[in-house]
Amino acid sequence: MVNFTVDEIRGMMDKKKNIRNMSVIAHVDHGKSTLTDSLVSKAGIIAGAKAGETRFTDTRKDEQDRCITIKSTAISMFFALQEKDLVFITNPDQRDKNETGFLINLIDSPGHVDFSSEVTAALRVTDGALVVVDCVSGVCVQTETVLRQAIAERIKPVLFMNKMDRALLELQLESEDLYQTFQRIVENVNVIIATYSDDSGPMGEVRVDPSKGSVGFGSGLHGWAFTLKQFAEMYADKFKIDVVKLMNRLWGENFFNAKTKKWSKQKEDDNKRSFCMYILDPIYKVFECIMNYKKEETAQLLAKMNIELKHEDADKDGKQLLKVVMRTWLPAGEALLQMIAIHLPSPVVAQKYRMEMLYEGPQDDEAAIGIKNCDPNAPLMMYISKMVPTSDKGRFYAFGRVFSGKVATGMKARIMGPNYTPGKKEDLYEKAIQRTILMMGRYVEAIEDVPSGNICGLVGVDQFLVKTGTITTFKDAHNMKVMKFSVSPVVRVAVEPKNPADLPKLVEGLKRLAKSDPMVQCIIEESGEHIIAGAGELHLEICLKDLEDDHACIPIKKSDPVVSYRETVSEESDVMCLSKSPNKHNRLFMKAVPMPDGLAEDIDNGEVNPRDEFKARARYLGEKYDYDVTEARKIWCFGPDGTGPNMLLDCTKGVQYLNEIKDSVVAGFQWATKEGVLSEENMRAVRFNIYDVTLHTDAIHRGGGQIIPTTRRCLYASQLTAAPRLMEPVYLCEIQCPEVAVGGIYGVLNRRRGHVFEEMQVAGTPMFVVKAYLPVNESFGFTADLRSNTGGQAFPQCVFDHWQILPGDPTDPSAKPYTVVQDIRKRKGLKEGLPDLQQYLDKL
Amino acid sequence: MFFLIGLGLGDAKDITVKGLEIIKKCSRVYLEAYTSVLTVGKEALEEFYGRELIIADRDCVEQDADSILAEAAEKDVALLVVGDPFGATTHTDLILRAQQKGIAYQIVHNASIMNAVGCCGLQLYCYGETVSIPYWTDTWQPDSFYHKIKSNRTRGLHTLCLLDIKVKEPTLESMTKKKKEYMPPRFMSVSEASQQLLKIIQNERLDCVTSSEKEQNFSLAYSENTLCVGLARVGSPSQQIVAATLKEMSETDLGAPLHSLIICGDIQPLEEEYLQQFLSKSCPASIFKNHVGS
Repeated sequence: MVNFTVDEIRGMMDKKKNIRNMSVIAHVDHGKSTLTDSLVSKAGIIAGAKAGETRFTDTRKDEQDRCITIKSTAISMFFALQEKDLVFITNPDQRDKNETGFLINLIDSPGHVDFSSEVTAALRVTDGALVVVDCVSGVCVQTETVLRQAIAERIKPVLFMNKMDRALLELQLESEDLYQTFQRIVENVNVIIATYSDDSGPMGEVRVDPSKGSVGFGSGLHGWAFTLKQFAEMYADKFKIDVVKLMNRLWGENFFNAKTKKWSKQKEDDNKRSFCMYILDPIYKVFECIMNYKKEETAQLLAKMNIELKHEDADKDGKQLLKVVMRTWLPAGEALLQMIAIHLPSPVVAQKYRMEMLYEGPQDDEAAIGIKNCDPNAPLMMYISKMVPTSDKGRFYAFGRVFSGKVATGMKARIMGPNYTPGKKEDLYEKAIQRTILMMGRYVEAIEDVPSGNICGLVGVDQFLVKTGTITTFKDAHNMKVMKFSVSPVVRVAVEPKNPADLPKLVEGLKRLAKSDPMVQCIIEESGEHIIAGAGELHLEICLKDLEDDHACIPIKKSDPVVSYRETVSEESDVMCLSKSPNKHNRLFMKAVPMPDGLAEDIDNGEVNPRDEFKARARYLGEKYDYDVTEARKIWCFGPDGTGPNMLLDCTKGVQYLNEIKDSVVAGFQWATKEGVLSEENMRAVRFNIYDVTLHTDAIHRGGGQIIPTTRRCLYASQLTAAPRLMEPVYLCEIQCPEVAVGGIYGVLNRRRGHVFEEMQVAGTPMFVVKAYLPVNESFGFTADLRSNTGGQAFPQCVFDHWQILPGDPTDPSAKPYTVVQDIRKRKGLKEGLPDLQQYLDKL
Repeated sequence: MFFLIGLGLGDAKDITVKGLEIIKKCSRVYLEAYTSVLTVGKEALEEFYGRELIIADRDCVEQDADSILAEAAEKDVALLVVGDPFGATTHTDLILRAQQKGIAYQIVHNASIMNAVGCCGLQLYCYGETVSIPYWTDTWQPDSFYHKIKSNRTRGLHTLCLLDIKVKEPTLESMTKKKKEYMPPRFMSVSEASQQLLKIIQNERLDCVTSSEKEQNFSLAYSENTLCVGLARVGSPSQQIVAATLKEMSETDLGAPLHSLIICGDIQPLEEEYLQQFLSKSCPASIFKNHVGS
């Protein structure tokens, strides 16, 4: 039975020092959901015997069928820690002195790259992360991606080495080899951590360390796990050494000579690594006895370990018995709970250093201070990170984290979408919150109110937000920062209803789909086409299925997947481009220039962004990209959408009234960079310079109606005269396979314009890892193709990596980009052929 | 032959005899309907001229002018413009293009607000640069015309303010889309214009408080008590003229469009005498004192 009540949980919510908000993150198939079961069963929500098979947090039917997590799922659990373990929590902000209980709000996230937006949404509302690594496959591409994201969001990680059962049963690794494998994984993880943070940063020391207890080992499937702490406790009495000191001895270059009873720092003939001797050997012994059906030895062993089997388990043998024994000896839930409670930060600790990353407004206003102090009496600040479908079709729970204040059923609050700007009315609603609820995996519980530091769901705000937003009671509050996704929606399909009369249902369904997924984009092209854009083939497949079955509930026709392209330029415009306004009284003079390599990525990552202080930004651009600092100070805007990787620079000198047309020029720039001249795809990595402007002296003759279209024409002329190019998205593809299959991989990649840039053997295993770049456009059916060419032995993971110029001139009818441009134009219902420069370029 | 014909200000009958004769012989006649409008509609004009007119909106004249001119190469085409053809700044471009294409053209002049403002008694030769006052939006509030008013006033000149008219302008949202949506027609009234003018001096005062360097030689172009003249429907039978302070003007309703506003400079005695008849009742007689010789 569930060993806590909602009232107990509500009580814990006020003890913010005893809360842990955490996500479980990992590469696909490394066993997150399975491992999560251990905690869920410890909380009594599912039976212990079922843990590892239920995957309780995989709530959808297709998640259970495919054995893959698609949506992240949250669950709140209550646990008590024993007195002996509590002493390990030294920071006074990590525990209420008189409280032994802990409230753990856990979010299980998907591992497949296509769903990594779910991970982003999960990380935003949590403070700590349990990073799960399959100790057989080691650190994989997605492990690195999610870990990097976690560090960037200032989420503290702990590490768990999963699937030890496979290492022992299938690979039959020697204990020293297994130690080396563990050691390597810990190092790999720490290298990634060190790359994206340093110990002097605001989070302090982030790296994981087995001897501190922040690394766990075990098997989620079999339900057992341990950290060095468990073993140190077993031996502490025997050795008469303090547990903490012993933990240090049990990892790394520490060897013990059983004969001389001496510790040593070096391997010698007659000593043995302590980790192997005291930890792995006993485990190996249990495995050996049970799996080889040595009944008597097993019985002796069990007696020695003080394990009494329950009556119903007594007849079991082999794997079944092994599970029961290991689970009783080293219960996974207990080890995980200790790792989480001791090593992950409480909201009180985490919000102190996370506030500046979370809040857009001034760092000293009421909201900022409230977040920083995790103060339940400050104004409400809550971030909604995703929408969770309810059983009521078309309605959603808004899921998020209360960072400051208290959210309560029936209270009136300001609901601010991502486009809200303080002082304006746009994207702002003042509405009552119908209900606050607690997310419990497969069900929800109503709850009166939720104070700061907790995660919860809201009923009744879904209709005011598209995907995410900020909820506050503070009138002058700014938005919480929007999330930055690690993947982009680069693959798209067009959909239409099989029966044209169902169109309204499709439109409504698309709206719901857009809400239900943090990443998917549902776009209506001006041609009337309905487009769904997602991160990859699998993501789209799931979205389409959801659309058909849950959201629109109608049969749907879909086009073949196509990718989005970007338009760019490769040289500076060869003429000064002049465009006159329709009334001929205003003239704009501009040129387009390609951005230096890396700048577009810097803008994508927010290294260079519109909110920067302009002098600092100009200095940065000057130092890194050799930009003229005076010019770089006059960046008018980024685009499209105000943040995209294109820039508009004012290089004019002494033009009167220029500031009166700035807004119109910016609007025209946003428009043109959103729909480039070649095929109305987004532009990328283009810098536009305004060199001169002639304006009519009367403001009335230079309003938006005159300037906006003129700006667009001038930008188009600049693009066309600067050797325009197309860019296509490219995946970084990581393929794991045995050596024999490597040849097959090369064949498949070559046919698909891919190229391998790294090939290496995973140390300690017969597996190879091949890393390659593969154009997204060539990736449709890639997984299936690869499997059939390698006898099903190769399994790829593709992550969007970068944009790459498609070689060839899109204006040359014999070049490939020309065909691509024409295909896009046809699809979008644009005039076929090439855009005519004369339409955009005027004569003096 | 391409004819550019002024229609005058009042009603259909303001057209000149010469203009009317041309209209009758042309094969196509366009009516330009965005820089100004007549108080009577297109139907009244068609009835009086005894022929069909084609409405030429902004898009047609600005972006499709070549098609109008193309016809003019072979046949006689006329473009009718309310007021004088060159009263608005917009149509010089048409003539330039006709010249480039070698198309013969003829202009028929008529009265324009630029000279008809004389009806209020302020001498035409005492005007400075004319300004236009555009409708402000939440984000676009240009005030460069303020500085022109200022320079006119420092030289003692009157300023004629032409007020924004939006006959068929696309909305800002639809501007960046392919399908244009148009705003409902709007014509700025003298009270709206006065409110914007008042807003500007409020802003100027605020600026002055925040930046101390300006404070030393700070002076406003005008104040709430500056004498202004509001004119409505000049040249039509319902013409209306009111002289009042700017503050009063912001609360005065002069009825149907079109409106124009004059911000007075120095007032000569004869001007003063003439203006007396338009002076609003609540306006103090001492109003002129501030203006004479200032």
